[in-house]
Amino acid sequence: MRTSLQRLWALFRGRRLDRELHDEIEIHLAMQEEEFRRQGMDATAARLAARREFGGVAQTQEIYRERRGVPWFELTAKDLRYALRGLGRNPGFTAAAVLSLALGIGANTAIFSLFHVLMLDTLHVAKPAELVTMFRTGAWGVGISSYPLYLDIAKRTDLFNGVIARSGVDKAPFRTASGDHPETAQREFVTGNYFAVLGVAPAIGRLFTGADNRTPHAHPLAVLSNDFWRRRFAADPGVLGRTLVVDGKPLTVIGVAAPGFRGVEVDHHPDLWVPAMMTENEIMEAGWHWLWIMARRRPEASRRHVQAAMDVLLQQYLAGVYGNHPNAGFKKIAMDQRIEVRAGAGGLSMLRDEFGHSLSVLMAAVGLVLLAACANVANLLLARGAARRKEVAVRLSLGASRGRLVRQALTESLLLAGAGCLLGVAFAFWGERGVLQFLPAESAEPFPAVPNALVLAFTLGISLLSAVLFGLLPAWRSTSVDAADCIKSGGAQSSGRQSGLRKMLVVSQVAFSVTLVALAGLFGHSLATLRSVNLGFRNPAVMEFSLDFPQAWKAPQIQAARDRLVARLEALPGVSLVTYGAPGPYRDGFSKATIRIPGSEITATAPAWVSIQNVAPRYFEALGAAPIAGREFDRGDTPQSRKVALVNEAFVRKMLAGDRHPLERILDDPLNPTFIVGVVPDVAHGGVRQPAVPTVYLPAARMAKWWGAILVRSALPREETARAIRAEVERLGPDVTGGDPKTIAQRVDDSIYQDRLLATVAGFFGGLALLLAAVGLYGVVAYGMAQRAREIGIRIALGARRGKVLWMMLGDPLLLVAAGLAIGLPAALVAAGTVEKVLFGVKPADPFAYLATAGALLAIGLAAAFLPARRAASIEPVEVLRQE
Amino acid sequence: MSTGESKSDILQGTLDLMVLRTLETMGPQHGFGLAKRIQQISGGALDLNQGTLYPALLRLEQRGWIRSRWGTSDANRRAKYYEITRKGRQQVEKESEEWSRTVAIMERFVRLAEED
Repeated sequence: MRTSLQRLWALFRGRRLDRELHDEIEIHLAMQEEEFRRQGMDATAARLAARREFGGVAQTQEIYRERRGVPWFELTAKDLRYALRGLGRNPGFTAAAVLSLALGIGANTAIFSLFHVLMLDTLHVAKPAELVTMFRTGAWGVGISSYPLYLDIAKRTDLFNGVIARSGVDKAPFRTASGDHPETAQREFVTGNYFAVLGVAPAIGRLFTGADNRTPHAHPLAVLSNDFWRRRFAADPGVLGRTLVVDGKPLTVIGVAAPGFRGVEVDHHPDLWVPAMMTENEIMEAGWHWLWIMARRRPEASRRHVQAAMDVLLQQYLAGVYGNHPNAGFKKIAMDQRIEVRAGAGGLSMLRDEFGHSLSVLMAAVGLVLLAACANVANLLLARGAARRKEVAVRLSLGASRGRLVRQALTESLLLAGAGCLLGVAFAFWGERGVLQFLPAESAEPFPAVPNALVLAFTLGISLLSAVLFGLLPAWRSTSVDAADCIKSGGAQSSGRQSGLRKMLVVSQVAFSVTLVALAGLFGHSLATLRSVNLGFRNPAVMEFSLDFPQAWKAPQIQAARDRLVARLEALPGVSLVTYGAPGPYRDGFSKATIRIPGSEITATAPAWVSIQNVAPRYFEALGAAPIAGREFDRGDTPQSRKVALVNEAFVRKMLAGDRHPLERILDDPLNPTFIVGVVPDVAHGGVRQPAVPTVYLPAARMAKWWGAILVRSALPREETARAIRAEVERLGPDVTGGDPKTIAQRVDDSIYQDRLLATVAGFFGGLALLLAAVGLYGVVAYGMAQRAREIGIRIALGARRGKVLWMMLGDPLLLVAAGLAIGLPAALVAAGTVEKVLFGVKPADPFAYLATAGALLAIGLAAAFLPARRAASIEPVEVLRQE
Repeated sequence: MSTGESKSDILQGTLDLMVLRTLETMGPQHGFGLAKRIQQISGGALDLNQGTLYPALLRLEQRGWIRSRWGTSDANRRAKYYEITRKGRQQVEKESEEWSRTVAIMERFVRLAEED
């Protein structure tokens, strides 16, 4: 301890101590010299003898200094200057090293900054590890539950220290009581015990208690998030007691939550919380699933135990609600539900559920990129070390210790890593934005635009790690020089071990790139397969956006606003068609219903589940999907006219046994019949990945209360149309909010964003790894050629044919590629096994991907080796031998 | 560097004990004086590279066994003097014991070899 402190202290006093030692040695030499003179030597002889007695002065100083400082961390200004000079002398080498490191570090930083938000961060609440989420699975949506089910779970105080429920975060229009300027806020309905169970304190005022959530519609209160309070109200404590009109309803602000608490959902952060009882809907309705349930486990209740208890609880609950349901098919589906008890420390995240796996794959892939970059830089350093053997030998014989040379080499590595780190952060910034471009706008929300401290610490960590990874071995190797031998032979002698090491590095580079390229091939093939899916419509340029009205609005009011908007949109220049549908194309909240089809065997015993879409006239014309038989809806299909429906091809295939004449067949109750008036093509409303399901289209005019999406077909450019649409929606007043207008093509792209992202990122880095491997191969081959120039010269002089020499030189690199493939392909197969879930229509063992990979690597290998090999084959024996 | 077979290289670690013992018996010394004493005591049988003394002195000082200060020599020269500390004396005691034990053990082996 004392020693290391002294050493550390000595770091700062280095220069003074150097001088002191210098003085001390001078005095020593003077004393010795004096003594020799007294013994009768002349001045010169005495001085020389004194030096001889002492031994190497410089060596002593060097050992002394090393002993004094903390060797691993001492980056003296001298070492830095030396390293900077060395790097400046080789700009090509420096640029190549820094660039490949920066790409590796940048990619890791970019992906990590997403990864830690989604996969590593825990909620800013008390003891997050105790939290579990109740994820409902079954036919009726995923995750969310009803309020009555919540009440049953909340009774289990034997298992939980509190159970909370919350709605999803939704965008609600709001006004302050005085100002009438409309704004929007992210709103979340919560149970009264929400803050208490999570262990969140108020910053000012008070938070909800159980008493604030007792009676429907009777608690017009709001709690603000700290961020919102600061952002919107400039942290004014006077906000307490003020009234906010949220979604048409006046609410009194009673408090602000503690800073740092941003709710329990990673994807969206609420601005304000409202008691669940304030919902417009009938809260005790068992069929209304809208709440996410979270619970704080008692320490003695394990998750397995909780899971078993929930299985029993849910079955009892379902039996109570649906046990006497007359519809057997409905009852079966109703009973076939489960509650999955999941870890809740990381909070809720739909995005994590769907994107987490891909993100982990990306994280691993960029890890490989960094390894490949390190191997590349190590290779470059070794090559340069070989070229500097003579310099090293001279410095060793002048008294530099090996440790010091290693340290200097490491200083250089750290400098390279430092530069790579800085440039990498810049790349990461750019790269993260690039990645986020792929995500649908609403999914990109939770990710910070700027890397935070944790991410930067990670970056610094991997930079240091990579400096050690790529720097240590070359530093050690390039200083293991037999000084005398090397100087005698003029530094030209090669070290067999060194080239062996370089070959090993190249093989590992090839193996890394094989894995990356194979993954890129798989993702690329998968994406191509997705792209080739027939989407069922020919007009992907049609624009679509959702429309949301206040919960309090009645049906006629909504209908009037919608019709006003439709009329105005139709009047816009360039717009040829406006229609609407619910849920609309590529909307995740699709609706389902059970039906009976008279005469169909499928529904003879129990009704069948089908998807329901409510569409307006000309809906299919807008999509460019003309009916295959019959017609689509027109203005004559009103709530008063005969009940009609359209069905899709999948419906005809599965429900009507492929009936060639489905028109005028009856759906549902024969006494109150609905007639099929048209058959439309399969439109994959659930997304590209999901095959079209049997779907019944009903006239939107018959909806009790309209909701859904508006479709606009326009000849104008996308951006222009979107702008015009936004302006028109705004004219409907502050209470109506419109979604982001997008073309169907964009929605399709959004629905396969992960596939596009994976294919692009893997493709980019696969290409990069290939390039690095090519550089490595080229280096090794060129080096080998230089070493063997004399041998080749002699062979040619003895009559070897040049073509044969060319092949001889090509054989070596091809062998390296083959070795890399032999290691990389099995590794790639293993990696592919882990990504099976995200592949579409492609098996992990897809022969196309692996053949393409092997082909690409061989081609790269040949290309990299060809130049030096041809140079070798064109050697003039006379010149080589003359050089000797 | 070694010129004759009569001189032996210093065993790793033994230099420490030599320095400490010298300082213990002779009192504070400067580097040159120490080197000379050590050579004298060894009867010229040691091939001591005087320079190696300085890193050893630094090591002993870092361990707190000796301390140093700048002073003036007999010839009125400025010099750095080394002095043994209390911890150093304890160390000498410990190392001397160990050394005697080692010597005794080695002695037995050497005799064993002769009897064979």
